Order: sequence, then C-alpha cells, then structure tokens
Amino acid sequence: MSSLRRYLPEHDLMYFGPSPAVYHCHHFNLFLDQTIDDALGFEAGSRLRFLAGREFAAPLLAGVAEQSGATTPAERLELASKLFAGMGHGRIQLSADARGGDAKGSFLHYGYSWSQKYGQIVKRKQPADAFGAGFAAAAAEVALGLQPESMAAHETECVAMKAPGCTFQLKPGERGVRLPPVGEAEVGKQINPTFNGLYEEVIQPITKGLRDFTAPVQGDERGLVQAFGVFVTLHLAGYYNRISYEAVQQVEKKAPQSVGVLEDLLRESGHVCVFNTFGGILLSPEWEGMVGPLTGEPLPIVEGCMAIARALGFGRWTIAEFEPGKRLVVRAPCSYESVFYRSRYGKAPRPNEYFLQGACLAIAQLAHRVDWKAKPMLTQEFYNALFRGGPLPWKVEQPKSTACGHTISEVVVTRNEGARA
Amino acid sequence: MAQESVREAVNDVPSLRAVFVTAMPDCLLYDSWVRPEETWAAEDAASYFGDLVRANREGLRALKSWSAEMQVTIESADVLMIVRELRGDFVVTLAFQRDVPLGMVRLHAKRVMERLDQILPTLEAQQRPRAVKITEFLEKYAPDPHAALHRVALRTGIPLGTLRKPEQLETTQVALLEASVCDILGLESLSL
Repeated sequence: MSSLRRYLPEHDLMYFGPSPAVYHCHHFNLFLDQTIDDALGFEAGSRLRFLAGREFAAPLLAGVAEQSGATTPAERLELASKLFAGMGHGRIQLSADARGGDAKGSFLHYGYSWSQKYGQIVKRKQPADAFGAGFAAAAAEVALGLQPESMAAHETECVAMKAPGCTFQLKPGERGVRLPPVGEAEVGKQINPTFNGLYEEVIQPITKGLRDFTAPVQGDERGLVQAFGVFVTLHLAGYYNRISYEAVQQVEKKAPQSVGVLEDLLRESGHVCVFNTFGGILLSPEWEGMVGPLTGEPLPIVEGCMAIARALGFGRWTIAEFEPGKRLVVRAPCSYESVFYRSRYGKAPRPNEYFLQGACLAIAQLAHRVDWKAKPMLTQEFYNALFRGGPLPWKVEQPKSTACGHTISEVVVTRNEGARA
Repeated sequence: MAQESVREAVNDVPSLRAVFVTAMPDCLLYDSWVRPEETWAAEDAASYFGDLVRANREGLRALKSWSAEMQVTIESADVLMIVRELRGDFVVTLAFQRDVPLGMVRLHAKRVMERLDQILPTLEAQQRPRAVKITEFLEKYAPDPHAALHRVALRTGIPLGTLRKPEQLETTQVALLEASVCDILGLESLSL
C-alpha cells in the first residue's frame, strides 16, 4: 500500500497508483454524498456517485494490476478487494463474470460510518454505498477485460438500512459516456509554479512528519482506518470533484436559484471535515509527541492546519497573511479541486474551490473559537454549539482561483464584525 | 409569577431534581424549576417530553389502549422520571433521584400533579402555521441542525430567505417543505 502512495512534493498533491488521491474523513464523505443527493434527488444523486466511483476506480485498478503483475480475473478481483480494504473502505468480496455477479461487503466505509454517525437519529431508506458499487463494477470490468463503463452495480442491502451487511448485484448495463481522463498526466498540465508562504520553517517539518506517520497506515481487520476520532479513507480525488462539479452544473441548468445554497453546503462539507479531522489530529497524543503541546495561541493552530492539509494531499496551502482575531489569507499554486476542474471543464466562470473555502473558514474558527488547553471533545453537540445559529463570527471569500485561470488560488477569511463571539 | 407557582408546588417534595412544564400542542417550555446544583437547561429538554407524550399517545391509540390517564415512567441509569399529560394543555415532567422507591415517586407525582392542575392556567389553543411547526420540528431533530434549512432549500428550490419566514409560505411550498422534512428525517409523516 505505502509503495503506491506518492506525492508531488513541491505542490503537496498526492497520487495513489496512477490516480490523484487525497485522505478524507467520514464526516466529509457523508456530508458531501448527502449534499449531492439533496441537490439531485436520491436516484440521480446515487447514479452520479456510482458513475464517478466506477470512472475513477477503473484506472486505479488497471494501473495497480499491471504494476503488480495480476493478470487473471481471480487475481485482479482479489487485488481489488485488498486495495479497497487497504484504502479504508471496508471489506468487499467480489464474484463476477461477463454476465454479471455479486459483491458482499462488511464494514463498508459509507454505510458503516453512516450508521455510526446518524443511525440512532435517522431511519435511512436508501443504501449509502454508491462509491462501493462503482468500485465493484470497475473491478469486474478490469478483472474481466470488459469495456470501460459497461458494468452496472446496484446495492440491494445496506448496513445503513439496518441490514446485517451490504450486498451488490452486478450486471452488464447501458454503456456510460466515456469522459476524458483526469490522471497524473492531465494534472501535470494544470499545475502552476509553486511558492512558499509565511512560517514555512514550522510548516514543512510538520508536513514531513505527518507523511511519515501516515505512510504505513492502512485498513484494519475490518478494512477501516479509525484514527483521531474519525474514519479515514484514502480516496480518489476524481470522485469528489466529479460529483461536486456535475451537481453544480445540473443545478445551474434545472434550478439556478439553488446554486448558492448548494455551494454553501459544499463549503460546509469542507468545514465539517477540517473541524473534526484537523481538530482530532491537533488534539491527539501523536501531535503532542511530534509538535509539542498546544499553547492556545491561534498561530500554531493555523500553521498546524497548513501542514495537515499538505500531508493529506490537498495541495500546497500557504499562509500569505495572518492577523490573529482579524484576517487569514491562504494561497496555493493549485488544489486537488482546481487541477481537476481545469483539466475536465476548462476555465471556471467563478472561483469554485469549495473544499478549500470551507476548510479555511474552519481553520479560522479552530484557531480562535476552541479552547485547546481544555482539550475539548469534538462532538456533534460542540459543533452545534459553535456553528448553529448565526451570523457566524468569520466569513470566507475566494477572490482568486487557478480554476479560473489565475496564477494562484487565494482564500480570504475575515472577522464578521458584529457577529457573536 | 408562574415560576413562583411551580416552585411552591414542589418545594416540599424530597429527592426531586427538576420539573419541566411543556405547553401543548407546540411542545414549548412553559415553566420549570431545576435544583440549583443541576446543570440541566430546561429549554433543551422540555420540548422532547412533549413529543414523547404525543408519540406515546399515538402508539397507544394504534393499540386501541389510549386513555387520558396515562403516564410515562422512565428509569434511566441516574434519573427516575414521570411524564404526564395534564388536561391536554400541558405535559409535566418530574425528574427524581434514581434511588427513590418507585412507589414513593408515584405518590409524590400524584400530589404534584394535583397542585399543578390548580395552578396552571387553561391555555387558549394557539393556531400557529403548520410550516412554523414543521420547521421547528426539523431544527429539533435534524442530524445536522445547523445545515438543515439549507438542505430543505436545496431539495425544494424554495429560497433560503423564504424558508426563514415559514409563516409566509404558500400552500404548495408547505407541502414541499413537509415532504422534504419527512425525507431528511426518514419519517413517513409528521404528527404535528
């Protein structure tokens, strides 16, 4: 697993095998999937999530199979199961031939973490593992040498619906549209010259330490990575980007009045991710051992968050300005969002790195609104207490984005005067 | 004034930790008394007891066992609670220390209910718009309450600003709101 992970070190982007990849937690994964379904409805939303999972899993599986010398269908299906678990997505057993087949999953990341986070509060009526379905379909295509985008998969039972496990039916489906790939070569064409920001002497060593720490991490006996109070996945950046940007495009066509709300929720998925995952890392004994105890001052939190973002493969986030209590400006030569957008769609009409925006907003909130010395539990109740009701004390804007053709991406977070503390 | 009345009604009840009076049918906190050493926030708890009694009533009706005299007893790890509907206007919740014998709790509860029945006024049924009740219900039970209204806006196409004034929603918008809230909460219908 660790030999498949590579960084583009000057840009802090990550590849897993041939595929652009990032680490993301279950808070982000669940909230983003939910937002896609809210935007498009469950049928269209889950179909888009399946298509994106299948599209981006296929080159990963083909590349890793070739690299590892797996040639027979059995070898390749076995390899797919190992990769899936190693990436923290749970255990899946695949059985398929050209006429179709089935897959059985246990502890699948989406369904299992949904049941852990929401299962006591909400009764779910639809399955949660469209990414798993896409991965299973891609595994069958690659293992059997089938045409890309030719295998369909449907989740018929899901732990999020209180089934004992997850079950998928695979069968040849209507051929999907083949979209231009967004792999390493395409990403390479979209990156701008890199640069450093303030406090690099602090940020870069922490980034390296975190990369070394995460290098051997892979799924446990359940196929899950549980760390820092969250379930973590090594995930395909293309999956996140395709579902986010296609959802925005579809809503722009069908319900343009709702685009702003969708963008708010896409930002929120970044916000909830950073709050929980970055916050969990900052509060961990591993962090204290590597960096030292938290002082309670805002600057070390911001520095730490830049390092965490880089180590997770989000891009070279740099501090351009930081005035505690007033203003944070983060710049990057590109992000995992912008390189995808430029490659697949061309220039964006407006800055649209939603994850970067929500993440920087959360970093400002973490730096100023959390009493780190008290080592708070990052619970849903704590999150609600900080962020429920408004207006919030910080606001975010993105004046520049490499997705738009600017030479840098820039996000500005400022104090919202007159808002609650 | 009401605060004094509730306090007076319970001031000689030993081992009582709190009393919450919830106005029905809207499940809003009407009055409360909480022992000073407790850290409970009455506003956070009271509405849930109203919903509890309403759900209990519907369940008993489904079993054809409903009667106005029902009360709910909750025995949790560290508290013993009696929840009872009073005249249809109120739900009264009494929270006792866990180690008090149940028979004693019932005796105290009966006496307190009789006193409160004398003290509490008859409420005029307040006809609040259904959309207001739906929105309150959503914000109370949604898994991500800070984002709940955004989710409804995205699902329904109703602008966020319009949803923030639920009393002004049109009939078709109320239907859309209710359907989306049912979906978000995984419910077949809302018994409001």
